[in-house]
Order: sequence, then C-alpha cells, then structure tokens
Amino acid sequence: MGTLFGSLFRDSYTFADIFVKATPLMFTALAFAFTFQANLFNIGAQGQFYIGAITAVGCSLFLQDKLPGALTLVLTGVLTILLGGLWGGMIGWLKAKFNANEFLVSMMSTYVALALMNYLLRTFLMETKGEYPQTDPLDTAVWLQTIIPGTRLHTGFVLAVLTCIGIWLLLYKTPLGFRIRAVGQGKDAAAMAGINYKTLYIVAFFVSGALAAFGGFAEVNGVQHMLVQGFNPDVGAAGIGIAILANGNPIGIIFASILFGALKVGGTIMGQLSGIPSSITELMLGSVMVFVILAYFVREKMEERREKAKLKKAVSA
Amino acid sequence: MSAAPFVELRNISKYFAKVIANQDVSMQIRKGEVLALLGENGAGKSTIMKVLYGLYRAEEGQILVDGAEQVINSPKDAMKLGIAMIQQHFALVQAHTVTENIILGLVQGKYDIKQYDKIVADLAARYGFDIDPTAVIGDLPVGVQQKVEILKALYQNAQLLIMDEPTAVLTPQESDVLMNFVQQTTRAGKTVVFITHKLREVMEVADRIVVMRNGKVVGDLRKDETNEIELSKLMVGREIHDRTYVEDAVFDSQPIGLELRNVSIRDPREKIFRIKNISFQVHKGEILGIAGVSGNGQSELCDAISGYRSLTQGAILLNGTDITARNVRKRIEMGIAYVPADRHRYGLIMPMKLTENMFLRSSFGRIWVKHGLIDRRRLDAYTAEKILAYDVKATGPDAVAQSLSGGNQQKVILAREVDLGSAVIIFDQPTRGLDLGAIEHIHRTILAEKTKGKAIVLVSTELSEIFSLSDRIAVIYRGEILGIFRNHDLDTQQIGLLMAGYTTERR
Repeated sequence: MGTLFGSLFRDSYTFADIFVKATPLMFTALAFAFTFQANLFNIGAQGQFYIGAITAVGCSLFLQDKLPGALTLVLTGVLTILLGGLWGGMIGWLKAKFNANEFLVSMMSTYVALALMNYLLRTFLMETKGEYPQTDPLDTAVWLQTIIPGTRLHTGFVLAVLTCIGIWLLLYKTPLGFRIRAVGQGKDAAAMAGINYKTLYIVAFFVSGALAAFGGFAEVNGVQHMLVQGFNPDVGAAGIGIAILANGNPIGIIFASILFGALKVGGTIMGQLSGIPSSITELMLGSVMVFVILAYFVREKMEERREKAKLKKAVSA
Repeated sequence: MSAAPFVELRNISKYFAKVIANQDVSMQIRKGEVLALLGENGAGKSTIMKVLYGLYRAEEGQILVDGAEQVINSPKDAMKLGIAMIQQHFALVQAHTVTENIILGLVQGKYDIKQYDKIVADLAARYGFDIDPTAVIGDLPVGVQQKVEILKALYQNAQLLIMDEPTAVLTPQESDVLMNFVQQTTRAGKTVVFITHKLREVMEVADRIVVMRNGKVVGDLRKDETNEIELSKLMVGREIHDRTYVEDAVFDSQPIGLELRNVSIRDPREKIFRIKNISFQVHKGEILGIAGVSGNGQSELCDAISGYRSLTQGAILLNGTDITARNVRKRIEMGIAYVPADRHRYGLIMPMKLTENMFLRSSFGRIWVKHGLIDRRRLDAYTAEKILAYDVKATGPDAVAQSLSGGNQQKVILAREVDLGSAVIIFDQPTRGLDLGAIEHIHRTILAEKTKGKAIVLVSTELSEIFSLSDRIAVIYRGEILGIFRNHDLDTQQIGLLMAGYTTERR
C-alpha cells in the first residue's frame, strides 16, 4: 500500500497522470449517474465513448488542414456532443416509444459501437500506411493543450471538472434537473404534475450519451492523438463503479474518479517495480465497489436497530 | 358464552423502525363472542391482530391459546391453531374460480375440481352465502369476494375469524348482510374479532369492545354497559363535535366554474367504460360531493378533470372555455388543482424534500425561477410559511416527505394544491386513513376554499364527510352518475340504495 501511493509522487509526470486517467472516467461516470437520476440505467457509456472517439478523430482529421486548429477543436467538440447525444438519445427514444428495456439496449449498443469503430478503422479511417487498424496521428494544432509542460495533463481535465460542476448545477438547481430527478424518484407523481416522463427519458439519455462521447473526444484529442482499435476498453465499467461510489453525485464523481485514476497509475507502477501483477489493483477497485454497496445496506440496518433500541428505552423509562 | 379465554394476549409490544405500534397490549378473546377492536386509524388495531395472525413478530409479550403459550411465526402456524384473518386487501387470485381460490395450497397432486365445487357449495349453503363456486373471482363484486375470503377461512375450520375493517369496501346493504353473518357464525360457536373505527357497527354487532388509542388499550367494555358517547370519548381522547352542513342558499346563483358534458372514458385494454356519459356543473363557491363505494370510477373522473387521463368522449369546460384538449401542465396553469386519493403514489415524491414537493407542480412556471435557476431561498421560506400555517409536524422545509406521518403529508399536498387551484380544486378521498385532528383541519380548509369562490369537487366514500360538506351530492355507481341531489333532499337510506346501484329513474 505504501509503495502504491508513495510511487505516485516520485515525479510530476506520474503524478499528473492520475488526473489524465481520471478525465475519461469522470465523463463515463457522469453518463451513468445522469440517467440514474431519472431511474434509468445507461450501461452503454463504453459505446457512447467510442462513438465520441470516432467522431472526434474523423472530424479532426477531416478539418485539420482546412480550418485553424482552435476552430476545428470547437467544431469537433460540438459534433461529438451532437452525435453522442443522438446515439444515447436513441436508447431513450426506444424506451419512451416502445418501453424497451434501456439496460439491455444500452448494453448491446456498446457492441454495435465497437463493431462500427472496427469497421471504420479498417476502411475510411485506416492509416495511410494501411498496416494497422488505427488512424493517422492528429496534427498538434488540434490537440487539447497541455497544462503542465513535461506531463500529459491536458485541458480536457479542466473541462471534465467543469462539466461535473455544470451537471451538478443542472440537476440540483434548475427546473429541468428537478424534473429529471422527480421522474426518477416518483414517476407517477411527476406525471400527475404535468411532467412528460417520456420526453425526459430521451433528454436524459441524450445528455448521458453526449457526456460519454465527450469523454471520447477528450481522450482522443488530449491523450491518444489518434484512434487505436479497442483503446481504453474499461472506462465504461469503471464509470459505473465510480458513479456508485459517489452515490450518483456529480461533485463526488470528481473525487472518486481521481481515486480510481490514482489506483490505476499506482497499479501500473507497482507492476513495473516489484513484479506484483498490476491486476491486483483491479482486484482492489472491485473490492472497493463491493464494500461501498454493502456499507449502504449495513448502515441502513444499523440505523433501524438503533431507532428500535431508542424506542424501547424511551418506553421503559 | 363461556368465560374461559380462547386466546389471550399478554403484554405485547411491537415497534417499527420509528414508531411504537403496540405498547404493553393485553386482551382476552373468549369463545363464541364478537369482540370489536375499536380505535382511530393508526391506533394499532391491525398491528396487534397481525401479531396474533403471525404476520408480525412482537418484540415482547406472550400469546396464549386455550391456556397454553404458543409461538406464532407465520399465518400457517395461526391457521393450525384455528386463527384466520380476513385482510383489508383480499388475497385472491383474480383469474381463478371461487373453489380454486378456496382450495389453493390445500390440495396436492391430482384432484377432482367438481368434488371440491360441491364441498364449497355445501359450505356456502351452510352459512347462508349465495355463491357460485365456479364463478371467476374477477367477475364478482367486492362484497362477494369478501365472502369468498371468509369461506376460505371456514373451509380450513377456523375457530377465530379476525376481520380487518370488513365494511370499508361494502355498501350499507352489503354491510348489513355481513353483520348478520357475524352474529350467526358466533351463535354456531365461532369467535369473531371485528376491527373497525365505526361506532355504529360496534354497537350493532359486538358483545365486548376493546378500545385502542396510540398503540395502547384504553378500554375493555361490555356493549350493554356502554354507549356511543363513552366509546367515542375513549377512542379519540377528546370530544368530537359533529360538524353538520351549514346550508348555503346562494351557491346556485353563482356562475358555473366547472362543467362536464357527456364525459366517457373507455379502458383501451379491457374495452369497458370506466366512466360513462357523466355530465354535471359545479358553481363557483360550490362543493359538489361525489358519493359512491370506492372503485366505481371516482379516480378516473378526477384524473379526467385534472387532465391526467384523456377522454374517449365528451368535453370539459372551465369558466365556459373548452379545456378538453389541454394537458395537465396547461390545466395547472389555468388553476385546476388536484388532491389525489393515492397520495404516496400521485401526490408526493416520497424521497424528496418538502420544498421540492411544493415545487413539483409549478416546475414549468416562472414564479420560483430566477436566472434559469430555482430560487431555493424563496421557495424554502414559502415552504416554511406553509408548514407553520398548516400546522405540519416536520423538522423544516428540508424534511423528506416520507419521514412525515400520513396526516402531515396530506397537509403538505393540501397547502400546495390550495395555492395552485385558483379556479377548481378536486379532492379525492382527502381524509382517508387520517386521524380526527387532521380530518377536522382538512375539512376546515375545504370550507375556506369554498368561501373564496372556488368550484370544488369532493370525492369521498365516507358519507358523513359528504353530508357535512357538500352543497349538492352526486352518486356514482359503476362509472355512471345515478343522480344529483341537494344536500338536504337526501337521506342515508336513499343514498345507500343509490350507492348499491338501486335507482327508480336512471338519468
């Protein structure tokens, strides 16, 4: 444990990498948490993340030698949000229109996204050399700017934190967010109040899909600077865990993501240093999640027992 | 009537997570008697009987049956001791026949249904029930379904029948039949515990009365040694002053607020009319009471006025404007408020804070929004003000709705709807399940809204509520209005007949 965390501080590159790893996790965690507030399960953040990555790389490659870098970045970001939103919104629409099970649809949509990515990487997006299923590298002009020189930390991290705060504001301070939570916690009472939950299903999934897709954009233009087949295959699953750890709270997601980022980076270093397999950290991450979920139930049980004991005492007194 | 107690409960205490349901409750149930368990809603009557029936486990205390201590962990154990309970909500399989329901779980392997049909028919005949053993439960009226539940208990040779508010779902005529049955069956040696909060029934049917209040036994009396006044005092712990209707001579000179024209709703799946050809007008400043046994289309009617359900036919007019095509959101903006019967499901969002619940039905409006954000400070202040004005027992605007008691939850809904409903307020069973204090408060609020000139629709299954508040009374039966009468043109006998569907001239 000591080595795990100690090693994180050995140089600024390693330390900054924690936040690099945390960035896509924040987006996928937000994607899960957002629909979760409407009592919907978006298990397909991984697929939405890939859709975002494809859009980002495609748009960047297409525009980078036609438009100035900054403009290309903005356009790419907007297009990613749009396509990711549509990809996610489709799940919401199927739920609203046919009452399709959003859990299954979102899960399966990941495989469609994955297949789409594989196909594009072997055809339209394949590198000019034509050797590997990956794209050409992006021009430095369309990279998300590095914040600290000598590290990989890029502006995507700042955007992620701002997005978390923005989503928190949206959920807890605006009427739209209120309606989303109202639908999640009492669908019938919400409908009785004139809130059309079917529309909100689509809205929630649109936002959710856009969030995960934007994570793909941040990862492609911020870290990878190209698209490689099957990269970051576990951000979707980890995002679900983080959202649960943070109890669905967007501010909590910032910290939970950084914790997961630290464990990831630490795990890799541990593997290099001591020959301990880095999968040990994944085991730890899994245990953390299980215990968090267990703690919730144990706490509830304990509270109930305490209340009863208090009553008994009050009665006998 | 033998003196030896058949069942004895000794010092039973039962706690739920946050409330004391029963505290040190002791009582005896003697063979062959009708014991009425009387008390307000939430007094702990059902709880103590559910302990006896094995549905709940008591934290403390003993149960003795025929003098021997017994541990009852499940209804199965209770049945073995001859104890059966008829719940408020029946546990019948709707798609099965009477016989199939009665023998459910009691036969194994291959069996001849005809043979059992005969057994059930004989049993029903013995107790004077007119029941067809081959009828499907879903087709039977509630009163008959209840008889099936009773038969099921008798089939298992129950010696003690516990009935939890058995008349709540019945028409007055059906209740009379039930009372007769209760007296007959005790004459045949069975014992009956009758849980109720209605004094009239107690005086009619009981031999002995145990009164409960706040989870404790506050009285154990013989019927011939007591009277309604004493019982009501014991039950509520204070006097009830009967709120009688004050005649309003001018209500019908006021303009029409709400009008329904030939409104029908057909259930798209079952292809039957939930409500059929309903027309009425409500003046401004009038309370129109809608009486009827629950489940006769009242909720559908209220939903239709609020905009939650769309009409198959007909039109709804507000102050002369046709609003049939407007959705809930538009109707809220036009000042139609709704206090729904199922407040947990439709009235409040239980895990949310009180402030959020106050905001629920105005989330599309501009009143609480500043620069696109919810003005939480003003909303909190407003909620706190309402908590005070309606005497809601809550820790503050941040209290979660589900932490409140039923009466206080209803007050929150009332506070919200009264402010929203500038033109029309629909009250669907506004006092169901509440204690007398809360009921009185709600009745006062309804009358206050009437004097403000709002058109009010009051749906209730409690006739006393209908009679003490309504200017006019409409009786609904199977989705149809059988008649609309002025308050003093109707007596209990007449309305009872109408509620059961008897009418000389159908409109």
